[in-house]
Amino acid sequence: MMPKGALDILLVEDNEGDVEMTRRALSRATTPCTLSVANNGNQALDYLHGEGGGGMPHGRPDLILLDINMPRMDGKTFLRTVKHDDSLKAIPVVMFTSSESPADIRECYESYASGYVVKPFDGRQYAERLDQVVNFWGKIGELPNA
Amino acid sequence: MSVVRTEADYAPGAHNAPPKILLVDDRPENLLATEALLRPLGAQIVTAESGEAALGHVLEHTFAMVLLDVQMPGMDGFETAQLMQTRPSMQGVPIVFVTAISKEDHFATRAAGLGAADYIFKPINPDILKSKVKVYLDLYRQREQILSLNATLRQSNEELERFAYVCSHDMQEPVRMMNTYAGFLAEDAAGKLDDGALRYVQYIRDNAVRMQKMIRDILTFSRVGREELHLEAVDSQKILDEVLAEVRDVIEARKAIVTSSALPTIEASPTLLRVVLQNLVGNALKFHDGSRTPEINVSARRAGSRGEPMWRFDVKDNGIGIDPAFSERIFTMFQRLHRSEEYPGTGIGLATCRKFIRLCGGDIVFSSSPGMGTTFTFTLPDTGRPQ
Repeated sequence: MMPKGALDILLVEDNEGDVEMTRRALSRATTPCTLSVANNGNQALDYLHGEGGGGMPHGRPDLILLDINMPRMDGKTFLRTVKHDDSLKAIPVVMFTSSESPADIRECYESYASGYVVKPFDGRQYAERLDQVVNFWGKIGELPNA
Repeated sequence: MSVVRTEADYAPGAHNAPPKILLVDDRPENLLATEALLRPLGAQIVTAESGEAALGHVLEHTFAMVLLDVQMPGMDGFETAQLMQTRPSMQGVPIVFVTAISKEDHFATRAAGLGAADYIFKPINPDILKSKVKVYLDLYRQREQILSLNATLRQSNEELERFAYVCSHDMQEPVRMMNTYAGFLAEDAAGKLDDGALRYVQYIRDNAVRMQKMIRDILTFSRVGREELHLEAVDSQKILDEVLAEVRDVIEARKAIVTSSALPTIEASPTLLRVVLQNLVGNALKFHDGSRTPEINVSARRAGSRGEPMWRFDVKDNGIGIDPAFSERIFTMFQRLHRSEEYPGTGIGLATCRKFIRLCGGDIVFSSSPGMGTTFTFTLPDTGRPQ
């Protein structure tokens, strides 16, 4: 894959506070990113399929950050939908959630989540974790094709 | 199956129907007379003129008691009783035999073998019959009442626990936001706010952190019992070592001396042992006034009686001790005996320990001399495994 300017991220999150926190953290991240936001699974699907004014700057996002508890379509349903859609399933999805339940963690990994992060209580730690995740997926994109 | 109707069958408040009595006698005039005699007791009376008919009723109704004539053509009383008792709904229902047969021992033995609660001899003395039936009805009503109350209690307990779980789970989010944004405010406005304002921001953060701890502790408390217990071979020495590693900073800062004699591998819930040792060791480290070096010893030995073997663990400290007046309160949720400035904490730890230990069939107590130290003792069933 050719290196490109910035990592395109789609954040699927209903809580304004978390959206703001993520925006703030990414603006200071070591990996340059662009951020698009959907407030629930339905909106995110519309976005990915190019409906409702969607359309990422570089087409498909490089990474989806996904909350679990959301109104309308929740994170787990969205995850399953994406991973069963041939045109979307290659996009890595990393869960960002407040749920520490072992059942949730297992279920998400079984639905092919690429990672599971429990939102840290402290804002700085939140930014650090996000930076690590984004950095990792940025590096993966720089790997030469086998 | 020994008891067929359990609390689970009792919807709270649904049991106001009168108790039912089954009268079995092949002679209609006897049925009529007995029915008239018992009617004032307020029970619903169902009659049967044969053993076969009685068995049919047993399929349809749940009875408080059965008055059963022994001598009947066809299926006699003994046979009827025997067949009745194969019905789950008849388990534990008292059967009173009514008979003209002599009071010989073999009869009593046979009746007792069939689970007879009692027998009454003909000719019937109306007062004796009435008072006997009344006793059985009273017993039945009391039992119903207890079962119904238990069901109500259980239901409200479950509701409360669910409430605590949902509340604490959903409360984590806003507290996290408060903490995070107060942190951002402190970062962003550091040069613009004066020291007083920054101190206020710090109060917000401190209290958000405190609330977060409380919420986490309540969650742990409410998870005990909600989640299934996994019993497995647990090396309690290893668990203690892990717990000590978590608090190494505190141990070093206080120059505490923690000792333990080789703790056993027992069959228990590893989560339970970790939670309990975390709390007890944590408390033993915390409740010191700084006047002497904290010394903590953890030991275990077999205890309990032969029929009920137990493991007994002791966590002994030389801390400030606990006034015996607080012996019960200390295990109650949110009970704190000190100001949080002196000894910080949420007051949930020991409540969680006790809930967990009792759920596993053990118990927890303490002995203490104020100013000298405290020993917390908890027991867990000794299953004999692993050998």
